[in-house]
Amino acid sequence: MAWPAAASSAELRDKIKTSKVLCVGAGGIGCELLKTLVLTGFEDIELIDMDTIETSNLNRQFLFRRKHVGQSKAKVAAEAVQRFRPNARILAHQGNVKDAAFGLDFFRRFKIVLNGLDNVEARRHVNRLCLAARVPLIESGTTGYLGQVTVHLRMRGAAGQVTAATECYECKPAPMVKSFPVCTIRNTPDKPIHCIVWAKDLLFARLFGRLEGATDLDEGAEGAAGAAQGDAALGSSGREADGAPGPSGEESPAAEDLSEFLAAEGENPSGYAARIFRRVFCADIESVLKMDKLWKNRKPPMPLRLGELLPEAGSAASGRASGGGADGGGEASACEALGMTDAHRLWSVEDNAQVFLESVRLFMSQRRAEVGAAVFDKDDALAVEFVAAASNLRSAAYGIPMQTLFAAKGMAGNIIHAIATTNAIVGGLIVVEALKILAGQPDKCKVTYVLEHQSSKRLLATMPPDGPSRGCAVCGTAQLRLAINTRTATLSHLVSQVLKKRLAMNEPTIMACGFMYEEGEGLQDDEVAANAALLPRVLADLPGGGLGHGVLAVVRDQSQDVTLQLLIEHQEEWDEEMQPDGFTVDGAAPAPAAAANGDAAAGPSGADAAEEDDDDDLVVVVEPHAADAKRKRAATDEAGVEAEEGREAARRRRGPADAGTGDAILLD
Amino acid sequence: MAGVARMRLAEERKAWRKDKPFGFFARPETAPDGSANLMRWKCSIPGREGTDWQGGFFPLTMEFSEDYPAKPPKCKFTEKFFHPNIYPSGTVCLSILNEEEGWRPSITVKNILTGIQELLGDPNPLSPAQADAFALFQNNMAEYRRRVRAQATQFPPPA
Repeated sequence: MAWPAAASSAELRDKIKTSKVLCVGAGGIGCELLKTLVLTGFEDIELIDMDTIETSNLNRQFLFRRKHVGQSKAKVAAEAVQRFRPNARILAHQGNVKDAAFGLDFFRRFKIVLNGLDNVEARRHVNRLCLAARVPLIESGTTGYLGQVTVHLRMRGAAGQVTAATECYECKPAPMVKSFPVCTIRNTPDKPIHCIVWAKDLLFARLFGRLEGATDLDEGAEGAAGAAQGDAALGSSGREADGAPGPSGEESPAAEDLSEFLAAEGENPSGYAARIFRRVFCADIESVLKMDKLWKNRKPPMPLRLGELLPEAGSAASGRASGGGADGGGEASACEALGMTDAHRLWSVEDNAQVFLESVRLFMSQRRAEVGAAVFDKDDALAVEFVAAASNLRSAAYGIPMQTLFAAKGMAGNIIHAIATTNAIVGGLIVVEALKILAGQPDKCKVTYVLEHQSSKRLLATMPPDGPSRGCAVCGTAQLRLAINTRTATLSHLVSQVLKKRLAMNEPTIMACGFMYEEGEGLQDDEVAANAALLPRVLADLPGGGLGHGVLAVVRDQSQDVTLQLLIEHQEEWDEEMQPDGFTVDGAAPAPAAAANGDAAAGPSGADAAEEDDDDDLVVVVEPHAADAKRKRAATDEAGVEAEEGREAARRRRGPADAGTGDAILLD
Repeated sequence: MAGVARMRLAEERKAWRKDKPFGFFARPETAPDGSANLMRWKCSIPGREGTDWQGGFFPLTMEFSEDYPAKPPKCKFTEKFFHPNIYPSGTVCLSILNEEEGWRPSITVKNILTGIQELLGDPNPLSPAQADAFALFQNNMAEYRRRVRAQATQFPPPA
């Protein structure tokens, strides 16, 4: 029976009833998906979610009510839909999908896995398990109006032959989570987000966080100070100033003495607030201005003078006694104290200065106990006000557009406001794709993008999925090239930054010629200790020939069933402006010698890529290169950055929307 | 490193960590300097409960060649290990470890070690490998069992 007709066949209805499916995530997409599954007739569903319900979920995660706040999303969602269909078997797991309990054997029990996740790491993990378990995966994401549903198949017929294969979730390179060059943040911001990051990660941390709080930004500062660049506190990191004769120790008002950002003994909170204002928005800007090299091709910033903005604020003692009661109970809020309660109104520079002073004052007077250990939280009103005001003042100094409190909160919290309708559409599309698979028509599966603006009179753009990419390091046989300074980078850095953060591994093991590192389950105490002892060592000096230039390491994961070949290349110099991570991973090159890894030669066409056969020799067969990479997935988690105009434009040019973030937060 | 042998050994190591039989031990040999030799594994096989081998933890090395898993690994106990099917050099004589007989590339490290554990308590009188143990096994069972029990005490559990 052809596809649309088959959808209503009795045969399919029966399959829907009896097929066991897994929903990963019970959030924005998850609630919609679960509802649609149950109403479509699915009766055997398991769902996983590690989170508990928050007030801010209630506007769109419609299976939850106020009384459920604090309870497990998975459990409450399961109970809610159970009432729609008392006969259905719905089993909720509150837990992290990366836990060992949800390993390969767990995944093998399902006919289809349906993702409604909110982060790329978990998506990559589920992708690897589905590949290994050979369970079809339907993957989804939404960001605001944009959404997408993709299908990832590696299906086999009764004889074990591949009957349908598409690209896996990781076949297309996922763009990196955006990180900003330290210098841009510290010296040369040109976008609102740069100022937000400065206010949140640098200034907030310095004033209210731990002194040694070692954000990356502060590390840069120490490095600069150590290199005798003697720049201003928020001034240059070493590289920018290289060869710039301008800044020398004498010209800087102070070397990196972070203690200047702390309130002095007995210092009045208002006086402290004014002092910090003068320091960061005036003195520091003035000292950055002295680095004329920076401003050759850039518009130089303008220092803000507190005396001109708020003449009365100068006298420290004056402060604003802030409307009597405001200092009393309840949560401190500078905006409330100042009567500026409209979060959507754009503040003037003066408004921002007032909010800045008031928020610092309130923090120092009412939340003194937290000072020194505070961590920015998007749900902390006072912290958000501080960040919005500080960021706007910096924007004003640099001639960057200012943001409303609401917008600043969104950017600081990496928030893209989720839209329930998009989630509902995506939830429905996931089920449609699931039905095609159950109907035995996986060839009818489509990749679907939900667009913000119509394209050819449509808001949904569909296209057939690409085939697997042989160049994929996860489902193909690619070798990854890792360029890193092997004489300074430690094994610990390799494991945490490269393998776990960049490559989304969970419990990596590394084997090279005479070297082995293992973590994860199944190790004895002495083995754990021996492995831990290796971590602080520099790559090139590890035992057994180490992980120096030219070493080909095999990296596996104890929980994920993924094997990567990592060719290590030593690179001495790193441009910290362009490559702040200090390493690059490049996985584009499909190894022409891929087949040589296996004793079996390239298999028949349609064979699977690099698959390990369970019950016999290790057989490596290679799929003829099918991917034509005409479409680039730009999916990401870089929520805050989505707002960036450049990306927005790029997306429009590309037509089909990309989204990748699950549903992102809020509107409370 | 790459190559089929090493890839397979990495897989074996992973599988072993996931599901290792109780009391057994197997891992690539590490030198005092911390370097590892993936092609040579240090193993330990516990004598099965309820047999004369009980209480002993018998060290064994497994040497893999670059032809593994097309060819079986060579498994060796210590020299002069007392057992009818073990050569004086310590090499184990077992059909599944013989390329011409029972070896198949799908046999895992775990299969090998549990197979050898079984062989300890259940010698194969049709393929003697050392005179000493074989003669006693055939002609003087009481003495044979005494020797086996004595040997078990020489290999106490690892600290």
